[in-house]
Amino acid sequence: MSLVARHIEAEGIPTVIMGCAKDIVEHCGVPRFLFSDFPLGNSAGRPFDVESQAQTLELALRVLESAPGPRTTVQSPQRWSADASWKRDYNDLTKLTPEKIVERRKEFDVVKSVARAKREGT
Amino acid sequence: MATTAPGTNAVFTEEYDVAIPYMQRTRDYYIALGYDNPYRWASFSEVPFTPLGVQLSRARIGLITTAAPYQPGVGDQGPGAPYNAAAKFYQVYSVTTESVPDLRISHVGYDRLHTSAADINTYLPLTRLREAVTAGRIGSLAPHLHGSPTNRSHRATERDAAELLHRCREDGVDAVLLVPS
Repeated sequence: MSLVARHIEAEGIPTVIMGCAKDIVEHCGVPRFLFSDFPLGNSAGRPFDVESQAQTLELALRVLESAPGPRTTVQSPQRWSADASWKRDYNDLTKLTPEKIVERRKEFDVVKSVARAKREGT
Repeated sequence: MATTAPGTNAVFTEEYDVAIPYMQRTRDYYIALGYDNPYRWASFSEVPFTPLGVQLSRARIGLITTAAPYQPGVGDQGPGAPYNAAAKFYQVYSVTTESVPDLRISHVGYDRLHTSAADINTYLPLTRLREAVTAGRIGSLAPHLHGSPTNRSHRATERDAAELLHRCREDGVDAVLLVPS
């Protein structure tokens, strides 16, 4: 998505990305980015919370109109929960037993082959 | 544990309470699984910039998503569904913004432990955008929103980006909001 934003911007149309993966978006380098420190899947705000979603969109719009230059990141002040321990769970290696490694590897190989078959069939 | 700075009342957050380092965690995870060819994320030293040339209250805004149209017959795509590679798409698509389309995110790696994708408004801000039009905050919404394929080679993504730009121009947008899921 960052590559798409870069291309559209380079061709003369301003862009803003709303996202939750700060390191990946900033690593690529994009014109404008509204970062929400939420679990992946909530780029546009909290579930069933219209106020959170409206506030997230409003911040993105402000970034669109007021960014002083490229690589402008603004972080939403919203918190997913008072307790930040959810951040430790993503690909947590301390929870990987040898049995789990075998299981996850098998799952990943299946996913890859399904995606490949679908891609080649398209 | 939260800690207090010595001699002050300042309470610091937990050490791990930072933006999740997804690239490092993902690299470490696949190495632990036994894969030895780590994914290389795109990065550039130069970043383009185009100032917004019109007031937002008069601007037409486009929307690009990575969410996928629901496809009957390719498995569970509902809230909390396991990662579903069969629900992926490999061509840019466009749908009207006059109604909310049935788009899902079972085909990407969202955080299934801490969220469930039960509310489309967390990854597709179409209803909130329409409200912003009604409120006069933005001028109008593009007639279509566009879908950007995921899980692509760099070359395929460049092709998709050119196609998405073409469709945004056809819609006559002044700016584009991109929402990865």
